[in-house]
Amino acid sequence: MISIESSIIRLKDVSKKYPPDNVVFSGIDLEIEKGEFVFLTGPSGTGKSTMLRILFCAERPASGEIWVDGVALSSFSNAQVPYLRRKIGVIFQDFKLLSNHTIFDNVALSLEVIGLGKKQAEQRVMQVLEGVGLAGKTSHYPLQLSGGEQQRVAIARAVVNRPSIILADEPTGNLDLQRTEEVIMLMEELNARGATIIFATHDDRLFENTHRRVLRLLNGKIRI
Amino acid sequence: MHLGLFEGNHVSDFLQCNQDVIMTLAILCRRAFSDLRQNFCAQLITTMVVSLSILIFAFFTLLYFNLQHFVDRFGSELGLVVFLTEDTPKDRIPSLYQKLTGLSEVEKVTYISSEEAFGRLEKFLKDEKEVLEGVDPQFLPPSFEIQVNRAVFQLKRIKQLAGEIDKWPEVSKVRFGQEWIDRLYVFSGLVRTIVAVTGILLLFTAAFVVTNTIKLTVYARQEELKIIRLVGATNMFIQGPFLVEAFLQGLLGSSLALGVVFACYRFVQGLEAKSELLRGVNICFIPWQYTVAIIASSVLLCVLGTVLAMRRSLRL
Repeated sequence: MISIESSIIRLKDVSKKYPPDNVVFSGIDLEIEKGEFVFLTGPSGTGKSTMLRILFCAERPASGEIWVDGVALSSFSNAQVPYLRRKIGVIFQDFKLLSNHTIFDNVALSLEVIGLGKKQAEQRVMQVLEGVGLAGKTSHYPLQLSGGEQQRVAIARAVVNRPSIILADEPTGNLDLQRTEEVIMLMEELNARGATIIFATHDDRLFENTHRRVLRLLNGKIRI
Repeated sequence: MHLGLFEGNHVSDFLQCNQDVIMTLAILCRRAFSDLRQNFCAQLITTMVVSLSILIFAFFTLLYFNLQHFVDRFGSELGLVVFLTEDTPKDRIPSLYQKLTGLSEVEKVTYISSEEAFGRLEKFLKDEKEVLEGVDPQFLPPSFEIQVNRAVFQLKRIKQLAGEIDKWPEVSKVRFGQEWIDRLYVFSGLVRTIVAVTGILLLFTAAFVVTNTIKLTVYARQEELKIIRLVGATNMFIQGPFLVEAFLQGLLGSSLALGVVFACYRFVQGLEAKSELLRGVNICFIPWQYTVAIIASSVLLCVLGTVLAMRRSLRL
């Protein structure tokens, strides 16, 4: 049992439906501990991405309440949402990189939005790109990189402003086995450094032999 | 591997400290100029659309002001002719002259005696002046030619003035080309209405074209805006550079258009000096207050167009 004090994400009776009456999930109660690494799984179309989108406020739940680090998301006005997002790093299956910006600029974007000084930002971007093994490709453009490299850029962008929560939405969906392993290792590394990670995937092989908690989203309910 | 991450700051603390982060004008302009460089073609097309729209509108405005200028000048040059009765004693002339020059609407008064009027008629008839042989040179009545003050020129006021002078006992008739002025005013009123209506329609068309061109450039960058939102950009961070770009587009587009109109104006002015036909037309440029208003409206139009086009992009 996870205590409320140590939970960084808490959902109480959360449901989501799309008009007219398409219920994605309902009555979801969930607590995720600080520094935990959980897998969110389930067949395609069960609402894994929707769940993550609700967590970073790209969508609002139909009912229920969500707390992130003790703050109720319902209390966030639309103008406050960007400040929450700076605390949550999001990684997507399709990388979502700016194709007309260099790798350096893509990663620096997360720091630019918080108004970090140029010198400080440069230092931090280089540190993170070194960490993901792309220090030599800072002036490349996303389309000049392989899928695995692009995903590493996306990870670098998600973590460069030191978020305490990382939401990964099928980050290995477009990658081969070797690149998938690299991404998993990076995630493990980030988790070891204190980040709470929710890793959404429909690929059972990724958590077959793991000791991590696996949340299964099936028929609108979560089964642990 | 060292990522140097996660000092464990709380969301609540983070929210509090980041509320104070204000996007400076320097960051905003840097982003705007970076966008301008990256989307140079799209920005250029938008600026040209703004410029062309303002150009058409400015030409109509120029036409409107020149028409008004022409009507006012033509009307004021017509003046009044006050004919005196035959039995007006000559010694009354100076006092009548004084009375007329004392009127605020009057700029210049010239006395034309019967003899002088006869001389003018002879000149006018040239070779056929024999028809005047034996005619008494006093048969034409003496008159005053009045040039109206341009600053106070108004058809209503001239009519009123003519009516007042006509009541003087020494005056037999006052003529001021009323028919001409009336026709001219009806014609110029009609043209003015057409120009004004066309101008307003053009303004709406320009507003529509400009807003939609901006919308297209914003839509073309939807994906980019989504990504910027994902990493925690505020609305100001997203919208700010677009607003700076819109401001520049409005300013440059309208300035360019007015520059072209001004060049055309100078060209016609040059022709006016050379051509006998155009001499005296006295073409005028759009008054500076209206020039400033056109530039300000263009900037406002572009900025508002951007705000409207971006409304959807700024949702969650």
